Amino acid sequence: MDFYGIIRDSMPELIYGAKLTLYYSLATIFLATVVGLFFALCKLSNSRIFRKVGETYVHIFRGLPLIVEIFYVYFAMPMILPLHHWFDPYFTPVAGIIALTLNEGAYITEIIRAGILSIQRGQTEAALSIGMNTFQTMRYIILPQAFKRMIPPLVNQFIQTIKDTSLLSVISINELTRQGQIIISTTFSSLQIWTAVAVIYLAMILSLTALSGYLERKFQIARR
Amino acid sequence: MVIAKNVSKAFGEHVVLKDISMNVKQGEVVVIIGASGSGKTTFIRLINGLETVTSGEIFVNNVEITHSKTNLHHIRKGVGMVFQHFNLFNHLTTLQNISIGPIKVLKMKKAEAHQRAFKLLDRVGLRDKADAYPDELSGGQQQRVAIARALAMNPIVMLFDEPTSALDPEMVGEVLAVMKDLAKSQMTMLVVTHEMGFAREVGHRVIFMDDGLIVEQGPPIEMFSNPREKRTQDFLSKIL
Repeated sequence: MDFYGIIRDSMPELIYGAKLTLYYSLATIFLATVVGLFFALCKLSNSRIFRKVGETYVHIFRGLPLIVEIFYVYFAMPMILPLHHWFDPYFTPVAGIIALTLNEGAYITEIIRAGILSIQRGQTEAALSIGMNTFQTMRYIILPQAFKRMIPPLVNQFIQTIKDTSLLSVISINELTRQGQIIISTTFSSLQIWTAVAVIYLAMILSLTALSGYLERKFQIARR
Repeated sequence: MVIAKNVSKAFGEHVVLKDISMNVKQGEVVVIIGASGSGKTTFIRLINGLETVTSGEIFVNNVEITHSKTNLHHIRKGVGMVFQHFNLFNHLTTLQNISIGPIKVLKMKKAEAHQRAFKLLDRVGLRDKADAYPDELSGGQQQRVAIARALAMNPIVMLFDEPTSALDPEMVGEVLAVMKDLAKSQMTMLVVTHEMGFAREVGHRVIFMDDGLIVEQGPPIEMFSNPREKRTQDFLSKIL
């Protein structure tokens, strides 16, 4: 069979894998941003307990290899908590998303925290001086300004997230990388399939880069 | 309107205010002068709870703001503050800067808040800048917007923390003009400033602070022409 023939024949499987990669990426990006915002606010809190919680979270989940975290959630956690019963029959995808979210969330925590800290103290004081409470100050004054500064590092992290989903192959999630492995195990066409896999990853990541460029321009027009 | 009783403030070991007592009556314009580091800025920041007292009590409109149970957010609605560095919200237009407080804090309808904002913009002479962002305004214009933003909450007292110190000289006049206009409208004002002309013209009382203490206070004419204390004399001879 010719070079492209194998790729063409494997396309349905590859596209299936690419779709899973996309779904896992989107779910993780969304959840990790929520988790990151929560722990960033913890770390910036006046309460010592909340700060410690935030710090501990980042230390642990940034401090371990992602693959260990995936194995831990998938193999070790069920021995303590019956997660595999609670989430049956969806335990595998749930475990994958939990592990990815906790890992990426730790990095996003630091990105969001840095963004919030980069806004001058005077903005907070001005918001408080017109009677806003802490939540309103964050929501209407600090976060909108901080978010613009967070776009480049956040996009960086989202790109990392897309690539990290490839590690879900180790718990038999049929995302793009694992689909590639499966196809090669029967066709032995490493060059063609890995090339196709690489091109698909690159296409996803470059579209995200384009989106971020668009967002940055859009918010530039809307100013600081 | 504003009463301070034996207020002390320390940042760690560093004592900034030592047993300050004073009160400001309704409609009174009190000007606080003194060298930098004398504690005057810290004092007015205590009045809207941006700093907390180490000891002593502060009452605003008969509510003790230094009491731990007092809701500071609620008190601050009635205490307007103008900062040395303006602190306008950089991501919002002039109109949004002024109306966001009434909309989010006072839960006013957007149209009504905008109407109020336009009235205030007329008052500070900046209606044509309603859609401009802070970085498109000069320092003097930004400070006038900041005054309008504070006034939009209908405060019962206005605090000014060196409102003209960060301005180019040619812009000081326009900000002082707005403040004078405000004083004429019977607003209760507490002003930290180095503008002695302003103090003389619209101040009802001048307080001289040095090293965390109120050294001397009195009507501006008396203070400037005939200061009793040596420290006041030294300070005034340097700046007048």
